[in-house]
Amino acid sequence: MRKTFKKLLAMALAATMVVSMAACGGDEGTTGNATPTTPATSGSENAGTTEKKDLDKLTIMVDGTVQFANPAHGGKQFEAELEKLMGIDVEIIMPDHSSYYSTVSQTFANPDKSYWPDIVLMGSTYYVQYAQNGILVDVTDMWNNSEIKASGRVTNPQIFEDSMINGRLYGIAPARGNGCVTYVKKTWLERAGYSLNDLPKTYAEYTEMLDAFAQLSPEGYALTSSGLVNLEAPYTNYLPEFFWNAYPDFYQTESGEWVDGFTQPEMYDALERLADGVANGWIDPEFSTNQTSDCRNKFYADKCGVFTYWAGTWASNLEENLALIGSPSELVALEPIAELGNYIERYAPMWVITSACENPEQAFDLFFGTMLDGAEGQSLWTYGVEDLHWSTKGETITTGTGRKAKSITYADGEFHFRADLETGVSLYNKNHIDPMLAVVAMADGKDVGVNAIEESAVNSANLFYANSVSAPKMVSNDAMYKYYSTVMAARIMLVELVASGEYSIEDAMARYQNEQGANVKAILDSLNK
Amino acid sequence: MEKAKKKKNAVSNKPLSARLYTYRWFYLMFVPVLVFLFVFNFWPLAGLRYMFYSYPDADNIVWVGMENFKRLFGEKMFWTSFVNTLELSLVKLLLNTFMAVIISLLLNEMVNVIFKKVTQTIIYLPHFMSWVVTASVFTLILSYSNAGLVNSVLENLGIIVDGEEIKFLESTEWWRFTYYLINIWKDTGWGTIIFLATLSGISPELYEAAQIDGANRWQRMRWITFPSLANTIITVLILNLAKIMNLFESVFVLTNNQVTDVSQVLQTYVYDMTFGSGADYGFSTAVGFFRSVVGCLLVIVCNYASKKVRGRGIV
Repeated sequence: MRKTFKKLLAMALAATMVVSMAACGGDEGTTGNATPTTPATSGSENAGTTEKKDLDKLTIMVDGTVQFANPAHGGKQFEAELEKLMGIDVEIIMPDHSSYYSTVSQTFANPDKSYWPDIVLMGSTYYVQYAQNGILVDVTDMWNNSEIKASGRVTNPQIFEDSMINGRLYGIAPARGNGCVTYVKKTWLERAGYSLNDLPKTYAEYTEMLDAFAQLSPEGYALTSSGLVNLEAPYTNYLPEFFWNAYPDFYQTESGEWVDGFTQPEMYDALERLADGVANGWIDPEFSTNQTSDCRNKFYADKCGVFTYWAGTWASNLEENLALIGSPSELVALEPIAELGNYIERYAPMWVITSACENPEQAFDLFFGTMLDGAEGQSLWTYGVEDLHWSTKGETITTGTGRKAKSITYADGEFHFRADLETGVSLYNKNHIDPMLAVVAMADGKDVGVNAIEESAVNSANLFYANSVSAPKMVSNDAMYKYYSTVMAARIMLVELVASGEYSIEDAMARYQNEQGANVKAILDSLNK
Repeated sequence: MEKAKKKKNAVSNKPLSARLYTYRWFYLMFVPVLVFLFVFNFWPLAGLRYMFYSYPDADNIVWVGMENFKRLFGEKMFWTSFVNTLELSLVKLLLNTFMAVIISLLLNEMVNVIFKKVTQTIIYLPHFMSWVVTASVFTLILSYSNAGLVNSVLENLGIIVDGEEIKFLESTEWWRFTYYLINIWKDTGWGTIIFLATLSGISPELYEAAQIDGANRWQRMRWITFPSLANTIITVLILNLAKIMNLFESVFVLTNNQVTDVSQVLQTYVYDMTFGSGADYGFSTAVGFFRSVVGCLLVIVCNYASKKVRGRGIV
């Protein structure tokens, strides 16, 4: 009896395995190689023979940068406005911001495409990878034939060129990628004996200032940073003054050859500067355990006087948050030091249509046609919902409570943002598209908030764009896909070990060659093929 | 007695269908458990086939045979993770068990019941704190800058000087020590429950007899308490030994790039390979499978050891 039962159980399990393998087998048969595919293009070619089903719903996956998609910030009203403008049912999926790409990656790993959203927001690294893998729709023709492109409102056509992979476009960036500039507290400058006319212009002057700031800091460091090398290109965002022209990733030289920037002489010098920076108390020694929010909080709490962070809207955010806790709030954005030359602009996050979308052309027209319509739709993505996030009605807005309460009265017809729906302590300043970074302008007379941008934000953005270059072009192929995360993890670890003094530069590079040499070679061979 | 035995035999001689019918309500009650096991334990096993595939996403699943294993065994970080898993788990297990025994013995010696109960409650509490909260609290307390409580205290006591603060969580030298300490703080209290239960089960007559014979407190502990606890200690060790490959959460929330060499364990390695950029589910499934195989072997070894020591297995 016991044997019979065991046999039955074994048969049931075996049957389960067979059924589940068969269930997924169909996908493998049709997609058994990693050759990039262009579902939309092939879809267009077959348009004459295959009639596409009209979409009855659009699912959109967003991260925390679409601020008003968050239910705590009026997500329901934002979704309702989108539905009204697009004339279709909309479902916004907003995973936790910190684990966004884990969720995206798990979603695309699901063979059942009914769980895939139609439209996804993704950073450049993932954009390149997923486009290479053929799961993003080729939107080149849609963009070229679009009313937006023909409208004459595109102010930055270069961004569309830069977003192309092998000459094809797989997503649309409504705004530039932005980058980081170095902010210095004006009060710290004054306490250290600096005036606005003698701001540091070279590395020697910059480190001299950091030295003075380290003496002023209650914690003994001049600037704070979350990590030393970031996971996203251009990687050196938070400490550009120490990296100069070192670039810890693969890039193409002027001769067209791909090299590993991590092993170039510039990187050796950068590692030495980083180690000096930590040893001399210029850089917060807790760089390894700091989250970005920790760094902001340390900066607000006056533990340091220098913080390299995003240009534009974040300049006014930082000042506003400093003012909220009663700290002197005026910040000075530094021009890049001579050795650095330029700040680096990252590649813009892209909005992509997935191959699961049943009618990509319709999704393109509905989604981008609204987001970049130059009127109500673009306003919604830029400023949010009227009379919820912003208004032109005469009213008094109060932020904060008790002694920290602050009221501002706006005249009728004056554009203004409303108070944060979740905390009420500050005013909103944008939804998703930063008006200073938009690559498609609003139609004449349609930009309701054109005069509402804080001066500090404008100044910081202007300084950045006058002194920045784009990050080196990103690529992806099978070898990159296979080895890249291991190689990058090793680079990040070794940079931190050198900076903290646990490894010498020579030991770090020897270990990198020893452990990652084969992986790096495989990647370079594939790129230089 | 004979009658009852006959009755039992009579039931077992019935055909399967009859017995199924006889115990139908038991089977019905068992169905939810069976469904749960099938859906969450057996069905996912089918996913193991992906260790033979390259699986970056659902549109690009390619058969690669043993390629993932070849790559796996060639990765230095994989072996580092494997060794770290064994080392961190074993040391943590031994330390936690040792500390739990010591604290149980101390608690057992307490005569004031109210004080004993209050102490027990306090030392149980950290067990209910999530690892995320625990890590945040300890990161602040052990901060490397002079704002960190521990470094400030050490500095004020003159044990360290300004500028030589200890990098508890940021140096390979200190990370493991700190990790074990946090684990002891969090789980030792909870671990005492089973030992206290054993201690309360020791007959007081043994102690009385020993006292009459002139045994002092140490001798009573040496010759009565320790031998009585020995079986429980071995049982706890064996039961936990089978789970040492499952180390993840506590490491994940306390690690950082500077200490990867001493903190990366197989589960965090799988996590990085699964959710990092360029993730390949085929490769991470292969790592996960390896971990499961080692885990299985450990269960078999522990089962064998348990049979030898306790007379019955753990599975």
